[in-house]
Amino acid sequence: MTTIDPTNLKTTKEIGRPDILFCVAHLPDSTRLWAGSSDGKVYELDPMAEPNQLGELAGHQGFVTGVCLTDKHVVSGAYDGRLMWWDRDSREQVRSVEAHQKWIRGVVASPDSKLVASVADDMVCRLWNTDSGELVRELHGHQPNTPQNFPSMLYCCAFSSDGAQLATADKLGHVVVWEVASGNQLGTVDAPIMYTWDPKQRLHSIGGVRSVAFSPDGRLLALGGTGQINNIDHLEALARVEVFDWRKGERTHEFPGDEHKGLVERLAFDPEGKWLLAAGGDNGGFVKIFDVEASKIARQDKAPMHVHDFAASESWDSIYAVGHNKLVVWQFET
Amino acid sequence: MPTPPTTPQRTTPPHRDSGLSRRDALRAGLAGAAAFASNMTVLNVLRSPALAEELKRGRKRVILLWLAGGASQLETWDPKPGRATGGPYRAIPTAVPGIHISELLPKLAQRIGHTSIIRSLNTRNGDHGGASVLMHLGRRDEPSLKYPDLGAMLARELARADSAVPDYVSFYTATEGRGNAVGRSGFLGAQYAPMFLTTDSKPNNLALPEGVSDLDHAQRGELRKLLSERFAQGRTSSTLASHNEAYARVRGLMASERLFDISDEPQSIRDMYGPTLFGEQTLIARRLIEAGTPFVKVSRAWWDSHGQNFETHLELATELDHVMSGLLDDLEQRGLLENTLVITLSEFGRTPAINPSLGRDHFASAWSATLSGCGVHGGSVYGKSDDDGQRVVDGEIGAAELFATIFQAVGIDHQKQYYVGSRPIPMTDPGTQPVNEVLA
Amino acid sequence: MPPATAIARRLLLFGLSAVATCATLPAWSAAAARGEDLLPAETPVHEAIDRYIEQRLSTSDVTPAPPADDANLLRRTMLDLVGRPPTAGEVKAYVASTDSDKRTQLVERLMASPAFVRHQTEELNALLMDGVRGDVREYLSTALRDGYGWNRIFRDLLLSGNDQDVERSAGQFLRSRADDLDKLANDASVIFFGVNVSCARCHDHPLVPEWTQEHFYGMKSFFSRTYENGDFVGERDYGFVSYKTVSGQSRDARLMFLTGAVADEPPVPEPSEEEQKQEKKQLEELKKNKQPPPPPAFSRRAQLVEVALRPGENRYFSRAIVNQMFARFLGRGLIEPLDQMHPENLPSHPELLDWLARDFVDHGYDLQRLMRGILLSRAYARSSRWDEEGSQPSRSLFAVGIVRPLTPRQYAMTLRLASTSPDQFPADISPEDLDRRMEGIENSARGLSDLFERPDRGFQVSVSEALVLSNDDRTERELLRDSGDSLLGKLKTIEDPSELIETAVWNVFGRPPSPDEVQVLTEYLAARQDRPAEARRDLIWALLASSECRFNY
Repeated sequence: MTTIDPTNLKTTKEIGRPDILFCVAHLPDSTRLWAGSSDGKVYELDPMAEPNQLGELAGHQGFVTGVCLTDKHVVSGAYDGRLMWWDRDSREQVRSVEAHQKWIRGVVASPDSKLVASVADDMVCRLWNTDSGELVRELHGHQPNTPQNFPSMLYCCAFSSDGAQLATADKLGHVVVWEVASGNQLGTVDAPIMYTWDPKQRLHSIGGVRSVAFSPDGRLLALGGTGQINNIDHLEALARVEVFDWRKGERTHEFPGDEHKGLVERLAFDPEGKWLLAAGGDNGGFVKIFDVEASKIARQDKAPMHVHDFAASESWDSIYAVGHNKLVVWQFET
Repeated sequence: MPTPPTTPQRTTPPHRDSGLSRRDALRAGLAGAAAFASNMTVLNVLRSPALAEELKRGRKRVILLWLAGGASQLETWDPKPGRATGGPYRAIPTAVPGIHISELLPKLAQRIGHTSIIRSLNTRNGDHGGASVLMHLGRRDEPSLKYPDLGAMLARELARADSAVPDYVSFYTATEGRGNAVGRSGFLGAQYAPMFLTTDSKPNNLALPEGVSDLDHAQRGELRKLLSERFAQGRTSSTLASHNEAYARVRGLMASERLFDISDEPQSIRDMYGPTLFGEQTLIARRLIEAGTPFVKVSRAWWDSHGQNFETHLELATELDHVMSGLLDDLEQRGLLENTLVITLSEFGRTPAINPSLGRDHFASAWSATLSGCGVHGGSVYGKSDDDGQRVVDGEIGAAELFATIFQAVGIDHQKQYYVGSRPIPMTDPGTQPVNEVLA
Repeated sequence: MPPATAIARRLLLFGLSAVATCATLPAWSAAAARGEDLLPAETPVHEAIDRYIEQRLSTSDVTPAPPADDANLLRRTMLDLVGRPPTAGEVKAYVASTDSDKRTQLVERLMASPAFVRHQTEELNALLMDGVRGDVREYLSTALRDGYGWNRIFRDLLLSGNDQDVERSAGQFLRSRADDLDKLANDASVIFFGVNVSCARCHDHPLVPEWTQEHFYGMKSFFSRTYENGDFVGERDYGFVSYKTVSGQSRDARLMFLTGAVADEPPVPEPSEEEQKQEKKQLEELKKNKQPPPPPAFSRRAQLVEVALRPGENRYFSRAIVNQMFARFLGRGLIEPLDQMHPENLPSHPELLDWLARDFVDHGYDLQRLMRGILLSRAYARSSRWDEEGSQPSRSLFAVGIVRPLTPRQYAMTLRLASTSPDQFPADISPEDLDRRMEGIENSARGLSDLFERPDRGFQVSVSEALVLSNDDRTERELLRDSGDSLLGKLKTIEDPSELIETAVWNVFGRPPSPDEVQVLTEYLAARQDRPAEARRDLIWALLASSECRFNY
């Protein structure tokens, strides 16, 4: 039972790092974390321990952008297009798969741990058997190029809490909801405001849906990104969240932001679906908590760094956030 | 009292100036053909054996791909994979063993045999305006002397006298940074000013005005000429002569309007350049140089990725890879590559350090440019930056050396002098050496 | 570069130039250098000009071109004084006049007109503000209207930051350059002293032994304490310029003027860090409240003004403007280039330059007097056609008129007037109404003038200009429209081809057509009887776009 009080979000631990951490996975009932780094490694960390770095899994090239835990393994994906399975205890690499021809942007495990989903800039989402590492299914639903003929990106994906659906989201703001079992498209939503194409000043684009999350009851789908940007050299628009009743294809909430600029890199509903937590950043960082029912901001604050990912403990008493040169622990005091 | 030098006027009436005045002959005799003083207004230079070289040189062309805003050397020509400053992209091998470039440029990697990569530029100016000026002029600007830019100098040296095609065409159709683009002919005069395309890929005023038939247009031009020639009788003035020279070029330039229209290119050729504006303009550049334009600059703005550097380069470097590969292939297939120099250049590079918006900022201490084609030692790398790309450790050069190398690649003596009044202005600052390792 | 090489390079360049000199030094130059034998001060300006020029013509055994005819001279004079060519009616009236004094009266009349102030404001503004943002037109308007001497204008422009009484707009001269003191120093030096020392920044001038780094940094020193603070320009009490010589020695620059005269200044200690912080805070406050900073106790810029105008030191100042005016109206200065007035660069007519400079100073630096003198000389009035056998004589003899490109405003005005119906300027129109009408056209021609480049030395017309006139919509719209007040509209009402041709040529060229022109134009119209409207339009176009309109000849 969670009784989080969003007005009482506190940073209880702040650990500086020389690298950028792009993703984090948390082992339930512990303070152990695995985080993917800009240096190509996955670090096993315990923010409560001294020293906090317990070990490292080396093998990837380029930014490690996705990491998840299965029954026994850590699965990581990186810009090298590979998915790697690691034995959690021995830290040995047990499998390396050439999962995508292009850069992997996200890796998530299904709630029952049987599947791993990976998304990459080849614009395909692939589902893998967690135990065998075999490809189970490919989901093709995103255009490889933008309407302006530039290569697009497939930024993120998320399972519904019952594992029956999977959402994938791309640079153009196009989101597809899939039926996991069949691979059929169940619906789509679009948040085109989150994609800026500048036809006049700089002639390229920025933005995209960078985070996606289902509400616990599976009805709502939250998308995170940024607003329309004038000067696309910078992340100068306000951080933006839109929520949809995805089956109806209707937008239920729009949070265009009033403070804090940058990208919403990660979204999560609390287990009861009352609150929506968003974190991200530009040159700085932010964390926001939305009251879902009241459809307004409950609290927003600067974060100690540009947050790329966070993982919540099951009861949501601790949130482990990672990002630019930092790992922090947030706690809600009840 | 010492005998004063006479200050030669820049505007010598054509009928008096035979291209080699006594002064010029003296200078040539004293300092060799290389010091042949070029009088700015003399175009018909068919009077000296030293000029056979100039004629041969006249076949050379240059295309500058101006990557405005500062392209990242780390995401293009000088990757540092595995380093804290390296970013997410890997390095890939190229067709030449030992040379690796960013994985964002796979097509160019295969074609590296045409290209010399320079990794050791240190130009000390990280400001868009000042750095653009520096990389356009090849030297620092001066308050009271209007230096010509690279395009004007190359047009001056490579153009034919009565050319029906423009000498210097410059594309800059994005709005960002256009003011830094400084296309200017300076003391070389209006003749070498660029045809500057900013709103369109086609120049203004090449089409017939509304309501005027082609016949009437031509014939009223003839009438104008007749009246003007009558006026010019007994009046000797090079500025007066330039008026009629300018009009004499109008019809020819109008005919060159078709060069800006790619719709008659086969789709297979258009596909080589791709569907983007940069691709189209680069294809136009090929058409122009094929028709005899000596210098075309195609600007691709705007690389200034202070935030989201890797996303931006994913788009722009991928585009560059396709467009430039298409250009090199197209030039090669047409037998033009051996006489065409293709340059990639920005005003500076980008910081090895990655900021929290995942951007890179301005950086002029160790960055890259490339030369491909004519006169270039292809498949080579010149200069080195350190392991993190923070500074140059070998072969450091600046704008002057780069310009000297460009000039030499197309057969121009980089120390050739222009004169403004009595002041000698060599094409590159005195003492500059070209980078011989880059030259074929 | 090591000193030995630098010296060798200097000698090489110097020696080369010496060897290459074609003319030997005339005897009169030596005399001029000694300041001897100038014509008496009472000599009228125009007479002095002609005597010296004709003296040299005679020693060179060159017969000058005859005077330009009345129509030609009227056009030239009006373009130079009021920025526009004459209407056909004005030409006819002037040509018809038998008054022996008509030329002098013309110049007086034009110089007394409001259009004179407008045009000279533009010309002086271009001299002072070319290449920088903003303008000093408002100030110049007042200065020209009230006949300020050039010395007063100089003082006002350089000291407007310190002197609260000087009109605000004068301050733009400093304001637009205050963020680049090198540029400020060099611009001031070029504009007011005819000296460009910028290459002496890094080494002594290669050709002029007298111009050293010390001279460049001396000039710079006069401006080195100048700074901008919001909308105002201030000047500090402290600060020195230092520089490195070619041999690497560090030197503090003295307040040295181009003549070598060094200005005294009271010693001022460098303020402490605390004092500088206080000053910074105070300036922030003033900036916020849009207040000027306090003037310094000792102003280096004021020192420059004082030194530059001091008897014995003022030859740069007086000769520079004389030379510029001469170049503007005659197409060539007495010293060329205009920014190389250094001891090694001798004038074509040294005594004339000295005489004019002396006259200028003795009469309170009176610009109008100088202009009047030049415009009334025979040298100014020469035809620009050289119909003799053999090649044209050197320009430095002023034997024949030099063809000069029109400024953008002159050209736009010429084109607009040429394409306006002559009925807009009836013979009985009052001078006030005419001026009002002309001012209206000047204003509406501004957009057209933006299409043309300001001509600099050795100006070459660009092909873009030819394309604009040949093909741009604007040309069709502004110059070739068919309306009641346009030339095209007027020609439509004329049946007889020869009358049509007369009217057109008079309107555009301000003279009657020659017989061969009549023939050519008649044939042109005759061949297009199936499209008379287009034929008329294209005839006008050919006249407008011809060289005769483009130049001041």
